[in-house]
Amino acid sequence: MKVDVDMSICLLHGQCVIAAPQVFSFDDDGGLVWVAEVDEAQRADVEAAADACPEQAILLG
Amino acid sequence: MTQETLAEAPYLDVADPTFSIRSQAVLEAREASWYARTNYGIAVLRYDDVMKLLRHPKLRQGSYRWPELSGVHGGLFARWWGAMLLSQEGETHSRLRRMANPAFSPKLITELRPKFQALANKLIDGFAAKGECDFIAEFTEPYATGVICDLLGLPFETWRELADIAAEMGLALGVTFKQDLATVEAATARLLKYAEDLVALKRANPSDDFVGMLVQANADKSQLSDQELLDMIVLAIFGGIDTTRNQLGLAMATFIEHPEQWALLAEQPDLARAAVEEVMRVRPTVTWVTREATEDFTYNDLPIKAGTTIHLFSQSATSDPAVFPEPGFDITAERKPHFGFGGGAHHCLGHFIARGDMTEALKLLAQRLKNPRFNGEVKWLADSGNTGAITLPIAFDPA
Ligand code: HEM
Ligand code: SF4
Repeated sequence: MKVDVDMSICLLHGQCVIAAPQVFSFDDDGGLVWVAEVDEAQRADVEAAADACPEQAILLG
Repeated sequence: MTQETLAEAPYLDVADPTFSIRSQAVLEAREASWYARTNYGIAVLRYDDVMKLLRHPKLRQGSYRWPELSGVHGGLFARWWGAMLLSQEGETHSRLRRMANPAFSPKLITELRPKFQALANKLIDGFAAKGECDFIAEFTEPYATGVICDLLGLPFETWRELADIAAEMGLALGVTFKQDLATVEAATARLLKYAEDLVALKRANPSDDFVGMLVQANADKSQLSDQELLDMIVLAIFGGIDTTRNQLGLAMATFIEHPEQWALLAEQPDLARAAVEEVMRVRPTVTWVTREATEDFTYNDLPIKAGTTIHLFSQSATSDPAVFPEPGFDITAERKPHFGFGGGAHHCLGHFIARGDMTEALKLLAQRLKNPRFNGEVKWLADSGNTGAITLPIAFDPA
């Protein structure tokens, strides 16, 4: 499944990093990075992250 | 920056009971400097710095030692305070937050929306014909507590008892915590017992509602222990009532000062969601959040020592004319985000609920209460920390 973040509304709260740490993380400069294509095993975590994002900035496809 | 410049930064006496976060002194300090010195450490005044520091990896949530600093070293409240989500950091915070997320999901709000509407209408029915009410006693307090009753699956009739217990427990946040300790301890025990009974009920009748989701998370006790489950329910009650009560009171007071905006909201109910955001920008109930430095670091050339308390002044930041060139109250304006729900790892977990219930309330209030105006003396909490009206007598024309 595809993972994308709308960086025009993301506010870098890091709730996705808490919910799905294998998929989302912060780089050394505090920018958000994520795995763009994840396998089915990670679906539940990624969906939990999209659900929890306060800005609802995570797009799953 | 050297220590000399630290000494030159403006000073704000935030412990003075008459201190106001909206005072001229704060405006001048914000104009002069990105931070001010205070009785407890520093206060951060400008938008970009509050935004950055809310997410700073070298800062932790700053009120975790509150009971200890108040001279209270044990007991039920102090144990709960130290263990609950807001006081936790790192792995434990992440684990608790992951376990709690499903119960606070935006999906659950869709089902609660009709209940919020019914609750708001019922409360308005109670006073509409009079053309006046105390907006806090007759609307925001029963509404904020009634929402928590809906969330927990409790009948509305329990709201008074729940509000009283939460208020007694809330004495712990005041300067007289130590004197009030017996009351606080008794209230904490009662709230924990409430949580225990709710959990027992859900274990017997599993469901997908708020408590049901938390009970499901508790199936793996290494992820959410029995005690952590109860502590989370207590936090939702404790953290959800006064905040919502105060924020809705601030909304009404703001609209009374801007009657044309209220009329606009009545005409265009779809603006209610934006109205909540705009109210929280100009009049957030949580006027600042507290952080503490976990190690020595430098920010904006200012050396900050481990253990320094940092107040992030949300109120001052989101009225900053550098970022909001037309800072007046306007529910139709496109705005940068406010900090009324905090931000970063501790961003309010209940914000979907709070945004949902306040949106429904404002929508119906604007439809049914025309031309609201002050109708007697408004009593306010201090204009700092967590603020709001204690009594708010209003008159209006029933629609
Ligand atoms: C208008 C209403 C509300 C406002 C203004 C508000 C504001 C806040 C703020 C500013 C924080 C962050 C505190 C900090 O960083 O130090 C917070 C955290 C929190 N809020 Fe709310 N809140 C509201 C309603 C609610 C409701 C209804 C609930 C629960 C049903 C709730 C549950 C929580 C929890 C559990 C946290 C801790 C999150 C964490 O530490 O990870 N809040 N809230
Ligand atoms: S939770 Fe949402 S807003 Fe926060 S960093 Fe992740 S995508 Fe961005």
